[in-house]
Amino acid sequence: MQYQMNEFLFSMILTELEDAVGKENCSTRTIDKVTHSVDYYWLSRMWADRGCRMPEADIIVCPKDATEVSKVVKIANYYKLPITTWGAGGGTQGGAIPVAGGILLDTKRMNKIYEVNTEGMYIECGTGAIYKHIEWAANEVGKATMHYPSSLTCSTVGGFLAHRGIGVVSTKYGKIDDMVLQMEVVLPNGDIINTSSAPKHAAGPDLNQIFIGSEGALGIITKAQIRIFDQPEERRFRGFLFHDMSSAFKAARELLQKFKPSVMRLYDPAETASLIKKIVGVERDGAFMNVAYEGVREMVEVEEKILLETFKKYGAEDMGSEYGKKWWDEKITFFYPGHMMDIPQMFGTMDTIAPYGKIEEIYWAMKEAIETNFPQAKFIAHFSHWYEWGAMVYDRFIIDGKDVPQDPVEALRLHQAVWTCGVRAALAHGGVVNDHHGVGIKLGRLMKEQYGPAMQVFEGLKKQLDPNGIMNPFKLGI
Amino acid sequence: MNLSEKSKQHVDSCRFCWMCHHICPIGNATGHERSTARARALGISLVNRNAIDLSEIMDNIYECCTCGACVHTCVTGWDPVMFTKETRLQAALEGKLPSYINTLVDNCLDKGNAYGKTEICEKLAEAAKAHAKKTDTLLLLGTDARYMVCEQAVKAIRVLEKANVEFSVLADEPASGAQLDFLIGAADEAKQQMAAAADVMNAYDTVVIYDPNDAKVIKRIYKEYGVDVSAKTVTFTSYVAELIKNGDLKTTNTEKTVVYQDPYQLSRDLEETEEPREIIKAFATLNEMLLNRDETVWAGNLLMAEYMPAVMNEVAARRIFNAKSIGATALVTACVSEYASLKKAEQTDVEILSIEDLILG
Repeated sequence: MQYQMNEFLFSMILTELEDAVGKENCSTRTIDKVTHSVDYYWLSRMWADRGCRMPEADIIVCPKDATEVSKVVKIANYYKLPITTWGAGGGTQGGAIPVAGGILLDTKRMNKIYEVNTEGMYIECGTGAIYKHIEWAANEVGKATMHYPSSLTCSTVGGFLAHRGIGVVSTKYGKIDDMVLQMEVVLPNGDIINTSSAPKHAAGPDLNQIFIGSEGALGIITKAQIRIFDQPEERRFRGFLFHDMSSAFKAARELLQKFKPSVMRLYDPAETASLIKKIVGVERDGAFMNVAYEGVREMVEVEEKILLETFKKYGAEDMGSEYGKKWWDEKITFFYPGHMMDIPQMFGTMDTIAPYGKIEEIYWAMKEAIETNFPQAKFIAHFSHWYEWGAMVYDRFIIDGKDVPQDPVEALRLHQAVWTCGVRAALAHGGVVNDHHGVGIKLGRLMKEQYGPAMQVFEGLKKQLDPNGIMNPFKLGI
Repeated sequence: MNLSEKSKQHVDSCRFCWMCHHICPIGNATGHERSTARARALGISLVNRNAIDLSEIMDNIYECCTCGACVHTCVTGWDPVMFTKETRLQAALEGKLPSYINTLVDNCLDKGNAYGKTEICEKLAEAAKAHAKKTDTLLLLGTDARYMVCEQAVKAIRVLEKANVEFSVLADEPASGAQLDFLIGAADEAKQQMAAAADVMNAYDTVVIYDPNDAKVIKRIYKEYGVDVSAKTVTFTSYVAELIKNGDLKTTNTEKTVVYQDPYQLSRDLEETEEPREIIKAFATLNEMLLNRDETVWAGNLLMAEYMPAVMNEVAARRIFNAKSIGATALVTACVSEYASLKKAEQTDVEILSIEDLILG
């Protein structure tokens, strides 16, 4: 805990929490503490790999609904205990790690699916629901959530909302922040509020968008209405090979003025030669791009014609549907151990986003910054989420295990340095701190560099809503 | 901890991988992060690195039902069940089993069943007595049916009687070793129990195995442990399906519409998915739940109910919810232990039936 606590007071608090959520949903066991101390963040994994124990919560609670969350938050506020919210632990930014100890609130008991509404086209569920489970619920009535990130099976609805996640068909269907109607939120003082009943309105600022991306620092989202969609009559794929990245950007920008494909993924030559070769089987020099387009069959026909004509203008080689289909089938395979980077390697994804005039420049600037300052690092990238106005770059650095210090503090120092270098390069060329993984403890220090005086808006919200500063301390840079 | 190199490799792969987070029936029922393959792997890896003690993770190691859903869903073939079972064995060897597991193990060794039972119910004893004579075919009822769900064991006997099969039932049936295998893995005691059971089975031409859990262990695990069974071993469901196909077992339309709960031992381990469906279709109209066949979701068992009954109830209730989600009013299972688990969580709007219930009407 943040301050020294005697056994007597600790036991008192524990009994209060047990009273709030039930004894069986309140734990001080070692296995629960260590399990909630390591998420997908490389530093936490490295720390555990070196046989060190990460900072742990003192008490883990698993409330079943907003009422129980409210009770927990009130207890935490009274005793001024840190409270860190945990979804499923699939985050890469250390957002769910209880670095300050105190209470860890695991949301997964809040996994109830309250309603599958095919008229309003949404599913109302607890935010502890694993997203794949609401996809199954949608599938049972012939619908789909159209939110298909690689972490679909291992992240909760709340986790995606808290870190502004995104899925592979985002170009057509949108990001998680486009997929929410109404939300229920427990404020740091324990009040339970609902955001507006419709997400588009003129009733002041959008409450949804204040809490989406707030990473548990402003409140705890406990329930959400998540949009569902009709299954497309047809989904087609087309793979292309571009000679250079510039042509690909121009082609993509022009295409998006005409229609919105569901999937657009452009791999730089380094990633084409590594991951795409390994998983999809493309063994060619150049930049591979996969495009999927879907919906009503007649419209898909027209879209295919437009796609082929547009990309031909920019010299893209049409590779047919085989590679694209293969990519779709294997899209999650990339992320399993054995295919994905893993310890002893050091690696990270420094995703950022910018308008078309800047995104390619950012890619080259980040590549140069990383490769120049850290010659032991390999830099690969793909561009996976596209808009009419711009795109995001999913750029990764990878350092071989032999070049990673064994000493955990030295490894931490190197990791921090690479990240700071890469993200600063992005910021300097018009990018943002992150596109869809969030900020967490990993990037908090860089938030002020991006926002400057605008940070006072976030800080003001934090101060007003959470005056005791108990909600997920040291995250989000506030 | 003295794990095999293969297990260590799997532990270190799974400890930081979340991809099967959605599929664990225990994790989904409890909502607890520790009830995941990655949490177990992380715990074991920290024991291997001397960061925590083995005794601190053993409760969690016994929260795994070994249903293999995580193994099945892993595209790269990592096997959390393997390292979980090896850890159980290691804890047994190091004397670090939780006391409630020790009790179950002792019961298996002393009384042949984890529940510590010494008598079977009168009805079963009577039904078995009628088949005491040695024939070519043995109906192996299994520990759960004999001691805990004896009315279903009697029904299994009645089904074969209805088809006029000549078969034997043993008054003192040996334990298959399935419970010890679950509790302490490849321990010598488990292998000895299996070998003794094999000796008994080998006196018959055919052994019809009623409990899918026994079937999995006898048909798969025995081979892994070097225990030979020369008798032909068949699952109860495949045997009954054959009786129907040959016209030996008469069928009637019950007018019921049901869904089928695939026991993972049949669908994933023995790849038997269609035989039970053939039986059901002979008596009722069959609909499918979203997660069926080798994607089935386990619905609880009797052994784990001995030490985590509330969780078993929740596991079963969630599977009944799956059935309700598609409008089912009756759920049929072919596993006696799952039947007992589901029956305990039965809700008024979904009837729980065994295959035998359906056949006997």
